[in-house]
Amino acid sequence: MSGASTSQLAMRLGAFALIVVFFQIGVVSEVPVFGVNAELCALLVAFVGLMCGSMVGAACGFAVGLFIDLALLQTLGLTSLIFTLLGYGCGRLRELRDPQNALTPLLVGVGASALYYVGYALMEFMLGVDAPVSFQLLRVVVLGVLVNTIAAVPMYVLTRRALEGAMPEDPRRRRRRRAYTTGGLSPLSKA
Amino acid sequence: MLLVVLSLLLLTAYFGEAPNGRLHGIQRDFLTVVSPVQDGANKALKPVRDLFSWFGNTLHAKSQLKQALAQTEKLRRELVAEQGERRSYHELLALSHLDQLGVGDYRPVDATVIDKNPNVWYSTVTIDKGESAGVRRNDPVINSEGLVGKVAQAAPDGALVELLTNSAMGVAARIGTSRATGLVQPKVGDPNDLLLQYLPTSVQPNPGEYVVTSGTVTPAYPSLFPPGLLIGQVTSVNEESAYKSVNVHPVANLHNLDIVQVLTAAEGTRAANLSALTVSLPAGQSTGTVGSGGGEQLASTQVGG
Repeated sequence: MSGASTSQLAMRLGAFALIVVFFQIGVVSEVPVFGVNAELCALLVAFVGLMCGSMVGAACGFAVGLFIDLALLQTLGLTSLIFTLLGYGCGRLRELRDPQNALTPLLVGVGASALYYVGYALMEFMLGVDAPVSFQLLRVVVLGVLVNTIAAVPMYVLTRRALEGAMPEDPRRRRRRRAYTTGGLSPLSKA
Repeated sequence: MLLVVLSLLLLTAYFGEAPNGRLHGIQRDFLTVVSPVQDGANKALKPVRDLFSWFGNTLHAKSQLKQALAQTEKLRRELVAEQGERRSYHELLALSHLDQLGVGDYRPVDATVIDKNPNVWYSTVTIDKGESAGVRRNDPVINSEGLVGKVAQAAPDGALVELLTNSAMGVAARIGTSRATGLVQPKVGDPNDLLLQYLPTSVQPNPGEYVVTSGTVTPAYPSLFPPGLLIGQVTSVNEESAYKSVNVHPVANLHNLDIVQVLTAAEGTRAANLSALTVSLPAGQSTGTVGSGGGEQLASTQVGG
């Protein structure tokens, strides 16, 4: 990736992430669906990882998580840790498997949401919550994943549109596309 | 790897430091910078939010109307009975010389909710009034329906309010008809249910009874909240071996907060002195420590034995 395209990606990503974070805390948090709120920031980080790779995904996760922790006065480092791992994990999925199935955004959304909710709950338990934990927590996790699944596809489309033209080109994907358009063989090997 | 290590370092440092430490200070400064932007974004996005809320509210309106009419009738009957009891209560209070914090010690400050944290572990909202308006940590926060929470952190132009459903909250409370006090705590994961714990087994609570803040029961265990603030209604009673506990449905709609009132303590009053004292306590003992059960843990110790 050239320096110019890196800075373009960083700028687009920063602006889009800021919009999503403000939309999340200003609107989505006020509108419960089935009693829970969608977690668009987790989906954003997962899709950035899926589209741009593990390094960009992890950096985006760290930045978004830190911003949320600072703005909402939460335990500093908690959301950034979970989002960093989430972004990195989704980025590695792209680098190792490069899933092309149309259902990929949906499945990644489900997986990312489940990891986010369960990871957050585990971290909170480890940090010591002194309130009684209700069985309803399981319901919140299940419904949260369900609501995020509904939001996953529109969020994927929006993220893709916001980053279009600035996304890094994956060499393996380029090779595969060339092989597909040339019938499986490069012009050089045909000759 | 570097970012993960950095996150863990931040987490460890933040968790270990006192509420007035450097990282907490950075958060407060960040809130000061971001709160005008949040305020602007909140106003710009209000039509979108209202549109979504309108759909939800319309669906519930019919059942709520029926419920509200029945409740109004019940409350009207109760009001007549309460007025007589209230006069006797004040006479008794004056006779027993109890060191109570009255609501008169507080100066209410109106504030608008600019952000809400939807996280199940952090039921918090951000308001647009801060230290410049006299808002301090641990100040009780109410709305037209009842108790909402307390101020967890205050910046010059904004403050973070911990709601009743926050996992760190605890409020000394009693059931309207009883003098026995307990501790209201949230049930993590269930925003519509609170738990009033540590009630003596002799208490016979009934579903539908109101739960209010108990205030300071004895001077040794002061409460941050003035007595008589409405918290919720008893929904069911749990039988336990040593203590009794009841499930409480909060009366304030914590999902849809817009305007709240912060009960700031006027300088020199007992409420202000108590708030200052709790802030100065070390982490873990402080009544207002974010992440601790709050000053109401002191009350719970007393209640629990």
